[in-house]
Amino acid sequence: MKGLDVLFFISQQTMFFAVPLLIVALGGMFSERSGVVNIALEGIMIMGAFVSVLFIHLTQDIIHGQLLLLLAILLAGLSGVIFSLLHAYASINMRADQVISGTALNMFAPALAIYVARMIRTVQQIPFKNQFHIKIVPALGKIPIIGPMLFQNAYITTYVGFGILIVSSVILYKTRFGLRLRACGEHPQAADSVGINVYKIRYAGVMISGALAGIGGLVFVIPTSTDFNAEVAGYGFLALAVLIFGQWKPSRVFISALFFGILKTVAAAYFSIPVIKDFGFSSDVYKMLPYIATLIVLAFSSKRSQAPKAAGQPYSKGG
Amino acid sequence: MKKRNKKTVKIESLFTPLSSVFAILVGLLLGFIIMLVSNPSQALSGFSLVLKGGFEDGLAGIGKVLYLATPIMMTGLSVGFAFKTGLFNIGASGQFIVGAFAAVFVGVKGKEIPPNLHWIVALAAAMICGGLWGAVPGILKALFNVHEVIASIMMNYIGMSLVNLLVTKTVYDRFTNRSYPVMASANIPKWGLNKIFPFNSTNGGILIALFFVLLVHIVLNKTTFGFELKACGHNPYAGKYAGISAKRNIVLSMVIAGMLSGIGGGLDYLSGAGKFIQVVDVLAPEGFNGIPVALLGLSSPIGILFSSIFIANITAGGFNLQQYRFVPEVISIITASIIYFSAFSLLFKGLLDKYVLGKKKGNDGGDEADDEEFGKKVEEDVEVLRGGEEG
Amino acid sequence: MEDYVIEMLNITKEFPGIRANDNVTLKVRRGEIHALLGENGAGKSTLMGVLFGMYQPEGGTIKINGKEVKINNPNDANDLNIGMVHQHFKLVHNFTVLENIVLGVESVKSGFLKMDDAREKVMRLSENYNLKVDPDSLVSDITVGMQQRVEILKMLYRDNDILIFDEPTAVLTPQEISELMRIMKELTAEGKSIIFITHKLNEIKQVADRCSVLRKGKYIGTVNVAETEKEELSEMMVGRPVSMVVEKSEPKPGEVVLAVENLSMKGNGGKNALNNVSFNVRAGEIVCIAGIDGNGQSELVYAITGMDKFLSGKVILKGQDVSKKSIRKHTTSGMAHIPEDRQKHGLVLQFTLAQNLVLQSYFEKQFQTFGFIKFDSVEKYALELIEKYDIRSGQGTMTLAGNMSGGNQQKIILAREIDRDPELLIAVQPTRGLDVGAIENIHKQLVAQRDSGKAVLLVSLELEEVMNVSDRILVMYEGEIVGELDPKTTDLKELGLYMAGTKRGSGYEKAQ
Repeated sequence: MKGLDVLFFISQQTMFFAVPLLIVALGGMFSERSGVVNIALEGIMIMGAFVSVLFIHLTQDIIHGQLLLLLAILLAGLSGVIFSLLHAYASINMRADQVISGTALNMFAPALAIYVARMIRTVQQIPFKNQFHIKIVPALGKIPIIGPMLFQNAYITTYVGFGILIVSSVILYKTRFGLRLRACGEHPQAADSVGINVYKIRYAGVMISGALAGIGGLVFVIPTSTDFNAEVAGYGFLALAVLIFGQWKPSRVFISALFFGILKTVAAAYFSIPVIKDFGFSSDVYKMLPYIATLIVLAFSSKRSQAPKAAGQPYSKGG
Repeated sequence: MKKRNKKTVKIESLFTPLSSVFAILVGLLLGFIIMLVSNPSQALSGFSLVLKGGFEDGLAGIGKVLYLATPIMMTGLSVGFAFKTGLFNIGASGQFIVGAFAAVFVGVKGKEIPPNLHWIVALAAAMICGGLWGAVPGILKALFNVHEVIASIMMNYIGMSLVNLLVTKTVYDRFTNRSYPVMASANIPKWGLNKIFPFNSTNGGILIALFFVLLVHIVLNKTTFGFELKACGHNPYAGKYAGISAKRNIVLSMVIAGMLSGIGGGLDYLSGAGKFIQVVDVLAPEGFNGIPVALLGLSSPIGILFSSIFIANITAGGFNLQQYRFVPEVISIITASIIYFSAFSLLFKGLLDKYVLGKKKGNDGGDEADDEEFGKKVEEDVEVLRGGEEG
Repeated sequence: MEDYVIEMLNITKEFPGIRANDNVTLKVRRGEIHALLGENGAGKSTLMGVLFGMYQPEGGTIKINGKEVKINNPNDANDLNIGMVHQHFKLVHNFTVLENIVLGVESVKSGFLKMDDAREKVMRLSENYNLKVDPDSLVSDITVGMQQRVEILKMLYRDNDILIFDEPTAVLTPQEISELMRIMKELTAEGKSIIFITHKLNEIKQVADRCSVLRKGKYIGTVNVAETEKEELSEMMVGRPVSMVVEKSEPKPGEVVLAVENLSMKGNGGKNALNNVSFNVRAGEIVCIAGIDGNGQSELVYAITGMDKFLSGKVILKGQDVSKKSIRKHTTSGMAHIPEDRQKHGLVLQFTLAQNLVLQSYFEKQFQTFGFIKFDSVEKYALELIEKYDIRSGQGTMTLAGNMSGGNQQKIILAREIDRDPELLIAVQPTRGLDVGAIENIHKQLVAQRDSGKAVLLVSLELEEVMNVSDRILVMYEGEIVGELDPKTTDLKELGLYMAGTKRGSGYEKAQ
């Protein structure tokens, strides 16, 4: 591939990998900023992807194109919210260990997805027809340089992702809800002492993370495969790393998601990239790259972490 | 993500054995409900198969259970040991497969090793490699404050791909996309177990696992090292005050946990049961199954012994399910539910106190106060009042 | 007709087995500063918890402005215009002052924050009551005194008329305390009524109009402060004439046990936590580090015990330089440490009484061979200590430390540290949260240690303790030692001046 084409190619592919990371990481941000550590993002992604891909699979001859995708996105978000309620209940009402509760959900989701898939179709994969690919966005796609980078060979999921980024920033910093959410994650006693219902806010935080993780699961599957195989390659955990690297701030999370997206792109498509493809490494080496990079990144960003002060500590309020 | 447990409450063992039973019961119930919903007519017979597990097939079935229990007993010990020292070793899967590879490699390539030492050397290799794999998240946490859960998960994926890579480069059977069979001398000796329990795959591995159960128990409860690990696990601040090096303990703990999982991998792939390392992008489930084993066993070695046999039993039952048009994944659903509900021990304790022990909503103002710190003040006052009476 | 703004009548509040408030009556007049006095365990916090809606009393009624009310939660209390400033501030550290004040009562337009009106109201209140604050500073960047003013503004912003202050002076310098008293008087001049919870007699005398005393959950009485002497208040509080003085003989200081030389330690932000600190402690004397909380005392102890690294200087124990040595080395070289936070540092709550007693010595030959614990020896030792130091517990040596009372938990730590017969005993706020009997006991032990020829370094925030127990007082201010005082010749006023940094001893001038 020629020089500029390589750039366009990488940019397009990066979107497919970065956007789901971005969406899920933003979800994790809302949860942790309210004070609840949500390790279950992986499981919620799987649940969201499973329900929505199943929906697509069952209705793809009746509903078509972007409408189908939009409906699927809504459904993914909804199922994510419902599934996340399990984590919310355990962490907030039961004051259970948030890591254990999250792990339980991570194990539950693929098990359920495989079980239902195999009961229905005898195999665990759920295929779908890709009717959503956009070759070129009208008008925007023709802009030189930016056009091919962002508006060709795309899916609306990318734009949905950007939309979520903007809305998230606004909500977090400009609204009353965002102020109260942040208070609950830093100093729940302070929030409680001024009459804020910490329980409710934390539920909201977890539910938002559920919605976004569910959507993120679908957004991950659609551009990158033709079936759903009950797993999301550890994306839920990569999203947590993105969140930590992004120090819980939307703008930084975006940059960190792009960074990981690029790495993942190289891993998945190295054979199409000149220079890199001549290194002669096997695909397994590239598969390891994003995870190794994550470790290195975490090593540097975890020391002076500005995590929400009260994240992970159950709030004790009498019933 | 910060560590939890800022508030100190009246400490009674939050995870009582009864809460494990509770979690098991609820988990099983959930599994049953799912089976009922998917195939009502055969749900009951299917569920009874799950419960009967290995006993359905008599001594051979028990042999199967022992065989299935061996790897998860080791990964359970691994996760449980880490829990005791305050760490969540979710990386057991990566440590398991890395250990497995080391064992298989020595098993396939170890022509020069004297035959009666072969399996021992292979297991030792598994142990060392598993330990190394566990050391990485340990060091990252001790030196860089990286959360061990995320680091371990990364190591799981790295381990999976690395082992795939190494297998294809060193011991690859390209026709079946898996590792070559190990030499016969590398297999764990049967020690007559497969005569007592007439199941092909039953082997001495279970005895080795039991040995480690005993070893871990002694280390945790009878040695100064175990004392230190537990002190730091409960309260790293007090550990520091007492002069215990938290960093050293974190690393040592993860190394030991890694070794235990690695041995598990070795035992599993040297069992002579026809198990080979598949070159696929799938994380070793035996590592994750160590988590419910550890939680149900309350992180104590003896408890883990029993819980691993329990989980192995229902897994064996799960295999039998296929005759009833049920998918064995329902067992995974059950174990995941068990994990979820074992985190509810607080709720269970409350129910226990209320209905069985007849305690009234007993607290010293700590819970009633909407405000944690204010409630603590009142608690302290009440304590002084009580203390004034007892002296 | 008396104009009572608050009447708490015959309040009884029970917790399992205990009556935290037993038929307590509190009547607060409009526009007065009413002190609520009692030692730890008296029931002051509980009573205010009832007033603030956190607890429901088993008996009694509450009247606000003559009308009977039910207060079920802090929101109800707020609706009745009752506000509370807690001892530990409820401020979000990385929010601005303005954000903290409006949190919970924000003005919004379709969900979006509108801060302009709020800012105006806050500045107006700030002017009216002379409460200087900078609305855009982050709470983590402002002084403790200003943080407290933010808390007060929070109440005023919500139009609270009844203001409860819970031990407000614990974290303030004497200057800031005077400032607070001025503020309180201005607030009442504007018609607010104040309840002031404390156990500090000086402050009551300075600012309160009337004072109600609680003791062991019971109501003792209400007095006019102007007509009542401190001794009388003290006697009401404790129930018997209290000797303010600790019985002790003349100190006989011997050789230097601890020498701290030019110790400097980095702090958060730009300043150093410790700046060139030097002092000695000799055998046979009790040296007390006095000062307002947060002036480097904690850091000093961490540096001496090896728990934190420092930039420069030396710590020399009995002639040995232990500056860079491990914490374990400090312990085995003859240093014992009774920590500030008994539950955080001093104990493993999930361990048994016996295990906690050997926390500092489990590795010694007495208790282990080749790494295996000798359980019999541990048990024997534990039983000895329980006997000797009168440690009470439910299940003897097997009791979990977390199930024991604060006083007995402290006894564990004391027993463990003192029985090792250390050359240097460091005790940081050893009597915090304990009742008078326990406090007397601990003071006796410290003096006994000193009389047997050992060195004791005491760090205390309680001025009475500082004056009565120590042989020599070293005052710390902003990470430096600013003066050395003799408790026999100094008084609280002078001590206060040093603590506030206003006065410095000769030889302790500020480093240029």
